[in-house]
Amino acid sequence: MVYIKNQYIRYIRKKPLSLIAPISVLLLVYFYFFAAHGSSSSSSGNKYSYKKKSRGLFAKNRDSVILKNLPKNHISHYDLNKLSTSADSLAKKEEVLILTPMSRFTPQYWDNIQKLTYEHSLISLGFILPRNKDGDVALKHLEEAIKDAKAANQLKYKKITILRQDTNSLNSQLEKDRHALNVQKERRSMMALARNSLLFTTIAPTTSWILWLDADIVETPAGLIQDLTSHNKPVISANVYQRYEDESTQQPSIRPYDFNNWVESEEGLKIAAGLADDEIVVEGYAEMATYRPLMAHFYDAKGDVHTEMQLDGVGGGAVMVKADVHRDGAMFPSFPFYHLIETEGFAKMAKRLGYEVFGLPNYLVYHFNE
Amino acid sequence: MSFSMSQILSPYDYKDHGKESLNKKAIISSVKTALKSKILYGVVAIIVLVAFVKAQISAFSSPVYTPNFSKIPTVQYFDLDHYDGSANGWQHEERVLFCVPLRDAAPHLPMFFGHMKNLTYPHNLIDLAFLVSDSSDDTMGELQKHLKEVQTDPDTSKRFGEIEIFEKDFGQVIGQGFSDRHGFAAQGPRRKLMARARNWLWTVAIKPYHSHVYWRDADVETVPPTILEDLMHHDKDVIVPNVWRPLPDWLGNQQPYDLNSWQESDGGLSLAETLDEDACIVEGYVEYQTWRPHLAYLRDPYGDPEVEMELDGIGGVSILTKAKVFRTGAHFPAFSFEKHAETEAFGKLSKRMGYSVIGLPHYVIWHIYEPSSDDLKHMEWMASEEIRQKEEAKIKKVYDKVWNKAFEDVQDVWRSEKNMFLKNTDMSNVRRIQVDWSGVDDNLDKQSNDKKLADFSPE
Repeated sequence: MVYIKNQYIRYIRKKPLSLIAPISVLLLVYFYFFAAHGSSSSSSGNKYSYKKKSRGLFAKNRDSVILKNLPKNHISHYDLNKLSTSADSLAKKEEVLILTPMSRFTPQYWDNIQKLTYEHSLISLGFILPRNKDGDVALKHLEEAIKDAKAANQLKYKKITILRQDTNSLNSQLEKDRHALNVQKERRSMMALARNSLLFTTIAPTTSWILWLDADIVETPAGLIQDLTSHNKPVISANVYQRYEDESTQQPSIRPYDFNNWVESEEGLKIAAGLADDEIVVEGYAEMATYRPLMAHFYDAKGDVHTEMQLDGVGGGAVMVKADVHRDGAMFPSFPFYHLIETEGFAKMAKRLGYEVFGLPNYLVYHFNE
Repeated sequence: MSFSMSQILSPYDYKDHGKESLNKKAIISSVKTALKSKILYGVVAIIVLVAFVKAQISAFSSPVYTPNFSKIPTVQYFDLDHYDGSANGWQHEERVLFCVPLRDAAPHLPMFFGHMKNLTYPHNLIDLAFLVSDSSDDTMGELQKHLKEVQTDPDTSKRFGEIEIFEKDFGQVIGQGFSDRHGFAAQGPRRKLMARARNWLWTVAIKPYHSHVYWRDADVETVPPTILEDLMHHDKDVIVPNVWRPLPDWLGNQQPYDLNSWQESDGGLSLAETLDEDACIVEGYVEYQTWRPHLAYLRDPYGDPEVEMELDGIGGVSILTKAKVFRTGAHFPAFSFEKHAETEAFGKLSKRMGYSVIGLPHYVIWHIYEPSSDDLKHMEWMASEEIRQKEEAKIKKVYDKVWNKAFEDVQDVWRSEKNMFLKNTDMSNVRRIQVDWSGVDDNLDKQSNDKKLADFSPE
């Protein structure tokens, strides 16, 4: 007889029945906790089982309470015909929704929107954060800023909605091929999905204007909302610049930052015509010289800040959009739409829907500088 | 030699010391193994517990940071990952946004709410959103009446979640003359208007916590009460049933209704290439021969209702989507997107964004029968024909009566009566008169050559 050294195995060999107890305990535990997650029993006669399935002991949904303060019989009624978007937005009490995709929290951004002179009770805020470590960090800072403002009785906004994105492929992007253009396309596609998710879950029946303000925009005129709405355009973009210290003169200076505000050019169209369906045209790549007139270069320090110019593509830095444009379906394409993606694709889609897109070359907002 | 007594083995004083010590050892070792097995059980139990807790944490609670804004009511936090929708949503408390665009729909609302009351999906998980636009009848009043009725139902499980009614008029469409019937110029404004209406509805109605969106026209006549579960359990991003309509006998009982659900074909693609940017392909036009396989025509009444089919364009009578499809930007293009508009373009756009678009060829819901103008003409003719036939039958009855009376055959009666009259008359001496009729017909024959009988042709 073979001598088995392991005493447990020896024990089991001697008394095989002794296994019944632990195995049955394991099975009981399994059925008690997990059986509900398996396939439902169809013996009840009904085609489907309506037994509630628990999501586990720790699955308490910690999202905000879903339905609260519902009106009588849960019925509410909105007349969208009465919604106005006018040059006189503040006097007509038009509601503004400020939307910000945020992967990094900059205190200056928060201070800047806190200083906006538009009536805060007419402003709603919406944030979406990526599902990664950056998002965790930014969310903690944002939470702190909101709680501090609340404690100081400085939080007067109508509503603040904070979303966590459901997809997290931003991480996987790093391991992918490093070709800059490909990464750019992927990054902006993800960005487009984030913008759309934020936009469509926060746009309310009472929203007249939507201000897209990037989390990196740290300085704007305090009257930003009034200034942009006063042009009464479907889509209007401010010029995004950046403050920096000029190394040669040691003087604070400014330089153009956002090159996605542009007018279409013959060259650009020619390049687009030669591309495959799933390729995009982007600004700022030498291998793709579009010769598009960029709004960033039209800044004239002495010019009238209210000078308008028609655009074909916009960046997302600081763009005021009539909510009707989005309600008609203008969104941020996450796929090449006329070889354009995200905010530039949005401008194209707005144009396809019959809206005009404008920019203010002399109206500057400033991007964060690391 | 000295022997101790104990060493002398006798049968009466037998003590096996070796065995005793062996027994002791056995007892000790058995106690030891018992202890060890207890430890073993303990270890196993701990491992199971740890594995269970770990599974719970990793599977159901997100590893991402969750803020706590419970003390600030104006701030809301939602993790969109909790609302991506699953196959058995009704068991996971997943909320459905039920979108219904309405326009001059007052007559259909009683039927529609009849279906709503029967829905088996938990009503408290269904949020209703209505858009009432450009209505000349009392759609709004009817809607509010029915909603009030259902929301005050004594059975609270019949009541729905949040209900939002939106009003927005988009203005009337330009008339459709023959000249601008082709392409986007004609179908365009109509489809564009419908697309805008749909977009205005869902963009304001969808909330972060919706997992599914269901679109339904009010004028559906027959639909299973399990429609939401039936579509949802396929776990597809966008899914539509087959839509047919019943017909009167004289039109053949039934007919495919929704031809907007189709699979793209090479014919369709090459046709699209020939059209200009704003053109809009419309199925069913002779000018637009696409040779596309239509969901409606692939129906087999005895087929398995679970069978799925990939689609490119879809119709809007009944669409179930995951909410993330709309959330991430798919919409009903109110412009020509890949040469299509509205729901057909929604299918194409969703596909373009990488979502699955599926149709169920053998799972059918029935749209109401609305007669076309030709049908109406035919029905009018049928109605007048029926009246005419009734009138004719009445006249014929009177006519037949008169006719029978006037042309009654009385020969038999006369024969018997004649016999009665002549019974007592001696006919033997009655003079027999012989008349020579020969030659009379000759004269008639001559006359008939130049004279005609009156023209008589009965209908």
